[in-house]
Amino acid sequence: MGIPCPVREMNLQFNPCIKHKLIRNSARHFAETELAPIAAEIDQQRIFPRDAIDKMKALNYFGLQVPEEYGGAALDSISTAIVVEELSRVCAAVGLCVTVHNGVAVYPFLQFADAGQKENYLPQLASGDVIGAFSLTEANAGSDAGSVEMTAVKSGSDYILNGTKIFVTNGGVCDVALIFALTSLPENKLQSSVFIVESKFPGFLRGELEDLCGMRANPVSSLFFEDCRVPEANLLGKLGDGMKIGLATLDNGRIGVAAQALGIAQGAMEAAVKYARERQQFKRPIASQQTIQNYIADMATEIMAARLLLYRACELKDAGAPFGCEASMAKLYCSSVASRVTGLAVQIHGGYGYSKEYDVERYFRDAKVTEIYEGTSEIQRMVIARAILSQSMM
Amino acid sequence: MLNIVVCIKQVPMVTELPWDEKSGTLRRDLAAGMMNPACKHAVEAALQIKENLGASITVMTMGPPAAEEVLREALAMGADRGVLICDRILAGADTYATSFILASAIRKKCPSFDLILCGAYTSDSETAQVGPQLAEELNMPAAAYAENIEVNSKMLRVRRLVDHFRETLEMELPALVTVSMERYQPRYASFSGLDKAFTRAGISVLNAEKLGISSDDLAGQGSRTRVRKVFIRKAQKGNVMITGAAARAASEFLDRYEGKIGAAIGKSIEAKK
Repeated sequence: MGIPCPVREMNLQFNPCIKHKLIRNSARHFAETELAPIAAEIDQQRIFPRDAIDKMKALNYFGLQVPEEYGGAALDSISTAIVVEELSRVCAAVGLCVTVHNGVAVYPFLQFADAGQKENYLPQLASGDVIGAFSLTEANAGSDAGSVEMTAVKSGSDYILNGTKIFVTNGGVCDVALIFALTSLPENKLQSSVFIVESKFPGFLRGELEDLCGMRANPVSSLFFEDCRVPEANLLGKLGDGMKIGLATLDNGRIGVAAQALGIAQGAMEAAVKYARERQQFKRPIASQQTIQNYIADMATEIMAARLLLYRACELKDAGAPFGCEASMAKLYCSSVASRVTGLAVQIHGGYGYSKEYDVERYFRDAKVTEIYEGTSEIQRMVIARAILSQSMM
Repeated sequence: MLNIVVCIKQVPMVTELPWDEKSGTLRRDLAAGMMNPACKHAVEAALQIKENLGASITVMTMGPPAAEEVLREALAMGADRGVLICDRILAGADTYATSFILASAIRKKCPSFDLILCGAYTSDSETAQVGPQLAEELNMPAAAYAENIEVNSKMLRVRRLVDHFRETLEMELPALVTVSMERYQPRYASFSGLDKAFTRAGISVLNAEKLGISSDDLAGQGSRTRVRKVFIRKAQKGNVMITGAAARAASEFLDRYEGKIGAAIGKSIEAKK
């Protein structure tokens, strides 16, 4: 018989409940009304859309899974994925802001913060008055997350942080960042720990915004720490918990990136279908050509498969079951579908698809990074293979 | 505190829908549903009154089980409770039967109402009749197509645009107002509102039996109007190419279109040809 598969038997809800449907409608309506008119411009001009973000604050976009007692909407993971998917279907850069804030900045507070830290930070994070960032990546620590060089040295009741973080999503606007830094443990061991660092702490400096291929409306930047003094009370979890917090957080973040990739793919397919119906060549719509129909069939099939895989990971998470392997599968698959589908969408548009006149050009650029951040596709395969192989050995 | 009832309707999300040629009704089963836009404005009007004066808002709809969606949406926006009137024998009700059923449900569930709000018209059938007919059923004053509503505990002042005149009407409560889409831009429902619409607020379901209505009173035989014919209005544009020598082309052009040109400018051009 074959290799035992880590995919556990569980009832999948193929029909979304009314609540999920309304959440999708609500996010879609907002995205189409508020984001669609500005998406192309904020991409080109690299503008973080403050007005739209302010409207989103009042609607709980920044406290999607935060419990009600802290001012959040207490949504389940499928709902959260649906929201990110719908934002990204229209404007992936805003989808990115929301998924990073909720998925990797707020989530570690929910999982690892003590009562005081929750009390201090969660209400502001949930309201969106404080925007969060997650800062692991450094010049020499990307896929190899264990190679962090930034340091945090104990000084009285504080830690002094020194080092540089790069490619920080939301970096240009974040008010609170979770910073991974090396700390010394007993017996001279060096292990990473996570610190809650406010942008107003002296020694917290932002770099220029990155000029990136896609997701250009998100203010991605470097963060510099020069003798930045952080109170001991802002240590998240225990000293040396960095790797544990990082991996758990990335598992969750991958659901968000998968949702984002799925939304990009969906948006690109819809644009391509619309164009294929309208565009006339050889005196008929190109949608009547079998080649184009094959493209559309493949896009729709892969998007459906991607969506089911993503919701499967969400369902496991909501059930309290381990979901890391499935989150990696969803992230790997959704992001590769996003790249393929946006490529086909450009192809269906022909020369126009290569022009900024049409949205698919932006979708095409936005899709690529979903195969890179929050763990490259190569790292996802490593995670999945490890899960499969460790099971088969048992 | 005012007691407000908002009657809302679920309509198909797309405008071009297939219809059942026999019954002349739309195939609503083939489209995703949404809250009728004018009804959403009516909900918003109720919420603004609630914010100013304090009010308890009941949203009510008649439809298939899926119509629960629009009630949940209204609850998410801030309404207090929902009533779903749902029974197979109500299917196909015309505006007369619908207003009769709504009146029965309002008498049963909210007998002490002060104000009833409806959308001015629906995007699917656009009769704009249910609101005014409901006011007749309940024997109370009504104003249709309101763009602004001012209310105190006893009186209602409504501003509306009719036949290019803006008029202001006053009436005593209880009253019924249908809300146009001029003002009252509907708010977005927050996600915590959506969550609470499922965990906190309640929806009660009424069928014909609970309303004490028999099938004879109602749709099918009970409806007094019959749709005789439904058709899609077709407008077509096309280019006509007239080729050949200029004089002959001009002459052919006039032969073809002199009637239309004459009608457009209001006099015959035949003599000048």
